[in-house]
Amino acid sequence: MKTSIHHIVTSRRFMSSTKYYGWGLTCIGGAGVLLTAVMGYTYAPLVQSPPFRSPEAYRILFWHVPFAWTSFVAFCLLFIGAISWFLKRKEWGWNLFCTGSDLGLLFGLGVVISGPIWGSAEWGVPWDWGDLRLNTFGLLTAVALFIVLSRKAQPDGIETRDTLSTVGLFGFALVPITAVATTVYQKRHPSVVIAESSETGLDPKMLQVLILGVISFWILMAGLSILTYISYKMEEELQRLLDKIDEEVVH
Amino acid sequence: MGDMTLIQISGLKIHRGSRLIISDLNFELNEGEVVALVGPNGCGKTTLLESSAGMHTISSGSIHWKHDSYGMKLVRDSEGRRNSLPPMGLTLQKNGISGEETVQERIKTVLQVSGCEFDNIKISELLDCWGLKHRSSDRVSQLSGGLARRLSVLSGLAPALLSQEPRAVLLDEPSEGLDESAKSLLINWLRALILRGHGIVIATHDSDLISAADRTLTFSDDRKIIFSAQSQPESNFVIPKFTNNISVKKTSSLFNWAYRMEKRNPVDTINRLIPAILALFLSHTLVSEEDISALGVDFLSALILLPPFISVVIPPALISRYAEENCGRWWSAIIGPKFRLSSSIIGSSILLPIPLIYISWFILSDNISIANDSVVYWLWLPCLVMYLVAIAASSLHLLVSDLRRSGASVVSLLLLVLVWPFIELVDSLEMIIINGMSMGISLEEPIFMMFLAGLISFLVWMVSVYLPEA
Repeated sequence: MKTSIHHIVTSRRFMSSTKYYGWGLTCIGGAGVLLTAVMGYTYAPLVQSPPFRSPEAYRILFWHVPFAWTSFVAFCLLFIGAISWFLKRKEWGWNLFCTGSDLGLLFGLGVVISGPIWGSAEWGVPWDWGDLRLNTFGLLTAVALFIVLSRKAQPDGIETRDTLSTVGLFGFALVPITAVATTVYQKRHPSVVIAESSETGLDPKMLQVLILGVISFWILMAGLSILTYISYKMEEELQRLLDKIDEEVVH
Repeated sequence: MGDMTLIQISGLKIHRGSRLIISDLNFELNEGEVVALVGPNGCGKTTLLESSAGMHTISSGSIHWKHDSYGMKLVRDSEGRRNSLPPMGLTLQKNGISGEETVQERIKTVLQVSGCEFDNIKISELLDCWGLKHRSSDRVSQLSGGLARRLSVLSGLAPALLSQEPRAVLLDEPSEGLDESAKSLLINWLRALILRGHGIVIATHDSDLISAADRTLTFSDDRKIIFSAQSQPESNFVIPKFTNNISVKKTSSLFNWAYRMEKRNPVDTINRLIPAILALFLSHTLVSEEDISALGVDFLSALILLPPFISVVIPPALISRYAEENCGRWWSAIIGPKFRLSSSIIGSSILLPIPLIYISWFILSDNISIANDSVVYWLWLPCLVMYLVAIAASSLHLLVSDLRRSGASVVSLLLLVLVWPFIELVDSLEMIIINGMSMGISLEEPIFMMFLAGLISFLVWMVSVYLPEA
């Protein structure tokens, strides 16, 4: 019998062993994230008071930046999943879309919560309409939140999947729209500028903590992706069994 | 595929989630036959019937319908291609009629979208046949369930009855809710209609209707479909005569229908007006002139544009009208791929932004010395752009309303993108208030900012209208 990669990936034995990798990576990543926070407070040096308005608040950067980079990867998964479902109607595409939206929401919320906290302390305002990254992540996180809430609330079906993957693609269409709007807006209204120059470049210790943070977040995301994907595969299997029971009951 | 074929379905495969509902179905509806779809609950009868009308996304295969002038034409396929249906009759499992419509209006609408010539006498004749003449001026919401079902069945049959050309008619559980006399009338009409060359598909559990069919498609337990034929005696039942065919008016009928519904019960206008007026009065009450002077002209501009903006992002009443008795699904099947585009325009707020912006201006700018005198002559311009924002908002609401439990989804999360056009409009109004209107095309000019706001709204509109149809 011909064995496809899909069958290997979805076989129970493979899923069972993959589950342990998922837990392992999640634990390692989680520990790294906590270690990043501790090192951010204890190991990373304090920045100078001028030009920074609120030197202590900068430490949120060690989570904020990894949150942003990781959420970008998660949004890419969402996009690939949406395209795969939309074009090929592949079940793995839908599972990838679900995984991407869950993790995009998780890490996107990390960005849009940590960003305004830092912004309030440093700039005096929580949101900057001239900041492309902030606006793009804000909108993408809103789209991910919409998808996650709707997926839980809607009965599963091809129409629901089509509409939600459309919303996923719509989220990505927002990126260039936001980029143009923000760029034009920024040209008229100079956005809040973070003090940055060759003299105030990132200290090596800060860079080390930041790299630790990014790697930890990525490991955490890999672990969570595996676990989330497996849970969606199991839901799919459960649904298949329920459908089978339904058929037996009806006939 | 013969000249007698009205609908041809090839290799149809439909999924619901991961569940396969219909597998590799080949089916032809021919002129002069009644075909009954039979099977237990959930076996896919309604799915097949609605898919025949192009209402469902299909996993593989194609559906073709016979058009009067083109011959067989693709209606929908698994590659995402979709075309509108030729004139046809359709009765859904739910009635597909808004409660605001009158009985007579419903029949007129059905005949307009199917290109049948009619006058009031003809409509009275049809209603009389089905015992509805005395209720012709009543709203459908005032009818009993049985009478509303009679109207729905008549709406499905009328396009074939008055047409000279052979038409396909799709009826989903037509006898549900009908009394014995109405059911008998239905069977007589079906037999008489096929003598004129029309083809009829019925999804039903009713044994009387099944026995009146020429062919039966039975959905078996193991997902196989069994075809069987039975001979029927020739009918001599007399039904009203056909009329001439005229041009089909689908989109304009939808516009007229939406206008009539709103005129009769202005839910949309009131729903939009109340929050906008409330926002305006709160701004007037809570924000003093000193606040405005201290916070600047951009703050004043935002306050002026807030009521019209609120009015355009409110969910359109059209969506709740569509949701009533699956009315929107009926219109979607009739209009075809242009349904979403038309609805996004019809559902948007057309009347309110201009009066609201002028009222806001006169109330909030009173005694503000910084205002340029010419502002009042140019206030309509940001409002024109606000119409595009309105259409974009309406299209986003429609996108979410496609979900089966649309009320359970938070559409406001998608509406966040419209903050950008709003900000651009606030900036442009600020420029107009400070410097007056100018027609330059640099970034600092109000006309450019309005263009950008319009462009963003237009892109959002296009994405949310065309992506789901892709």
